[in-house]
Amino acid sequence: MTVATPVDRTLGFERSGADWRGFFSAMATPCEVRVETEDAEAARAVVLAVETEARRIEAKFSRYRSDSVIGQINAGAGVETVVDSETAHLLDFADHCHRISAGLFDVTSGVLRRVWRFDGSANVPDDAQIEAIRRLVGWHRVRWRAPRIRLPAGMEIDFGGLAKEYAVDRALAVARILIEAPVLVNFGGDLCVSGPRRNGSGWKVAIESVDKDRNVAGLLRLMGGAVATSGDARRYLLKDGKRFGHILDPRTCRPVEGAPRSVTVAAATCVEAGLTATLAILQGVESEVFLKREGVRAWCIR
Amino acid sequence: MQLKKNRSGVREQIAALSASLLAITGAMAAVSVPDVAYASPGDNPNDNFGPGVSYTQLDSALLVYQESGGRVQAIEPSATLTAHSSAGDSLSVEVIADAVSGATPNGAVPADQLQTFQTPIMISGGHATVTGASGGSTVISLPGVAAVRQYTTAANLLPVDKGFHDHRGAFTFNWSQPLGRISDIGFGGGYSREQDYQAISGNAHIAQTFNGGNTTASLSVNTELDSSFPYGGVPTPLTVMSGVWKKPGTRNKTQLGFVVGLTEVMSRRWLMQLNYSFDSQSGYQNDPYRILSVVDSVSGEPTSYLYESRPNRRQSQSLFWDNKFDFDPFVTDISLRYFKDDWGITSKTAELSERINLGRSFFVEPDVRWYQQSAANFYRYFLVGGDSLPTYASSDTRLGKFTSLDYGMKLGFVLSGRTEFDIRGMYYQQTGDGHPAAAIGQLRQQDLFAGTKAAFVFFEYTWNFH
Amino acid sequence: MTFKICSANAVRRLAICLALAALGGCSTVGPDPWEKDLMARKEMLVGAYGPQMAADDHVFFSKEASSGGRGFAGGGCGCN
Repeated sequence: MTVATPVDRTLGFERSGADWRGFFSAMATPCEVRVETEDAEAARAVVLAVETEARRIEAKFSRYRSDSVIGQINAGAGVETVVDSETAHLLDFADHCHRISAGLFDVTSGVLRRVWRFDGSANVPDDAQIEAIRRLVGWHRVRWRAPRIRLPAGMEIDFGGLAKEYAVDRALAVARILIEAPVLVNFGGDLCVSGPRRNGSGWKVAIESVDKDRNVAGLLRLMGGAVATSGDARRYLLKDGKRFGHILDPRTCRPVEGAPRSVTVAAATCVEAGLTATLAILQGVESEVFLKREGVRAWCIR
Repeated sequence: MQLKKNRSGVREQIAALSASLLAITGAMAAVSVPDVAYASPGDNPNDNFGPGVSYTQLDSALLVYQESGGRVQAIEPSATLTAHSSAGDSLSVEVIADAVSGATPNGAVPADQLQTFQTPIMISGGHATVTGASGGSTVISLPGVAAVRQYTTAANLLPVDKGFHDHRGAFTFNWSQPLGRISDIGFGGGYSREQDYQAISGNAHIAQTFNGGNTTASLSVNTELDSSFPYGGVPTPLTVMSGVWKKPGTRNKTQLGFVVGLTEVMSRRWLMQLNYSFDSQSGYQNDPYRILSVVDSVSGEPTSYLYESRPNRRQSQSLFWDNKFDFDPFVTDISLRYFKDDWGITSKTAELSERINLGRSFFVEPDVRWYQQSAANFYRYFLVGGDSLPTYASSDTRLGKFTSLDYGMKLGFVLSGRTEFDIRGMYYQQTGDGHPAAAIGQLRQQDLFAGTKAAFVFFEYTWNFH
Repeated sequence: MTFKICSANAVRRLAICLALAALGGCSTVGPDPWEKDLMARKEMLVGAYGPQMAADDHVFFSKEASSGGRGFAGGGCGCN
């Protein structure tokens, strides 16, 4: 049963089991909100608030929009840009992640897409192309002192590995202000729940298989916190029988070798889960060792 | 430059960092962590009030103060409204009222005989009036002669004036904001008015945070202009106390001070604050109602009472060191203060409080404070007849040597976020030397220390809203 | 396809190798920003209980010769 809805751009709002489920498309991904309640109006308000928050973050941090904060910072590369406090906190966060990870997490690595196009083709860039792009990658080249940022000319930043997870956490927080009922927020597989379901059980979360049949590879029950996945089998290059995964190491400007095809991590917040998954996959063959050593709840698919 | 030891795993760092990000951006409004396996070091519930969020805080409070022995009692309600903008600007406005009454030591020493004191009073009408109810005083008004108020103190009791009562109203405001590269800059002002006293104050501050937000250096200056217009006129220092109604007069005092402060986050669990203060006052410092006994050099019996006399200038410095340690659910606060002024007073203060969070919505906080001061060089228990008069003399216990101890207990009820109701009870006791070696004659039999024992209760309700 | 569950019970505080030794880099006194969670709590804020501290100072000011330290000296009242 799909109910016609006045909600702005919401694709659907329907009863799904014990939940009211709203879905929409934002941040180039399908988004879903589940609210375990009988109260359709309250659930609808939650969906609207979540969607509003998702669209706010998308509009603010999308690298594809010239009027976004990121668009403005990138357009202003070479000169100084003053940012608002929320952006400053995210940049601080990115800065610290860069340090914690010794450069593995790097918001400037997006320019590598110019030479690495993961379209399933054999278009692997040559060394010269990689050397040319190398000087445009590296957070250490960015002058960041809150609230002022200055990118060297030609460099770009994006919150690709952060904004969606941040949006999930923000959206859940917004939802929890509005309603006490159990809520699940799922933006393209990065999700967070407010707590257990009303009967005390966990939310069933399926981990998608990376094989062609796209079957469910695993099922977990989430009592609280968040789950995020890094890695995507749908994006790769294949040359001379060698498969180049789409995970790029910003230090080498090349794909990480031996990385799992996907890493799913459970953590207290979606930002934490997403970042941990990203760092894990960047460890390449050492991914599982890293996850185990750090005591992370994770599911790796190779 | 020093390489920091790697203190925790990457996972813990990521967890704490993520929690901090969401906390600071207000997203953690209700993130709970039901599964301990997910618990991160930063999983404290965020209250959604803080930097980058615009909100308003209302503090309403009531202080009820009572000294033992029927001495001073006071009741002081106050309300503060503070508006914070998301850009970090804040404006706060506070109003305070208080009503004080009760018996106040007048500065005379006890004697083994009845003592009688006369102070000025202005009454309308010319009939002799007896008002036993008026604070234990008698108003004597004879035709053709100005009225006086007279009160007595029984033998072997500390002389107190029971006619003391006053009301005060005060208003303050403070504005503060980041400005360009300056972390915080602001100013404020205040006005306070009592029946016989007025204070106008102004202040300004500037603070800079650096070292990754771990260090804040600040400089604050303040100035105050106080005016005293004593009931019955301004008495001439070291003249005999009398009931003569003097010409109304006003005496001013100006004050100028500054505080240089350094706040340092020493570690995840340790916050330290170090303040140096300098204060300079110039003008009328006397308590216009306070007297000293002049006693016979052999018997120690009072022969007359003189108004006190203090220097016009006073400069003081203090060093204050505060440490807060967070070992959740325990929060320990230890502070030390050293104070010194050019009246010869030095003091040391040590305070320890231990907050214990019992769950998320209730805490208890016992605390103890120890304070010791030396006497001002012009402090006298009494003056001796026949001796030459000193230039300055005061018998105010506040300027004498004593030690005080203060025990308190606070109960806090966290209703939600930073909305909180607190009740705090304190017991304060001064101890000093009631039998100084200089005591003469009958004074050896008296307790000459007029220190205070007081209990007070403080109620505070803090409400934060958007 | 292999599906592997990484243990949640792994020892957490092992020394970290990789390039993570660079953590912190050069640093002066104080925790890193991701360790500021406790400092954000109300009980750790300097001046969070302002009215209460002001009331204490007011009482002590009226009974003792010393004032100031935490903030300005003086009391704005004639209770001397």
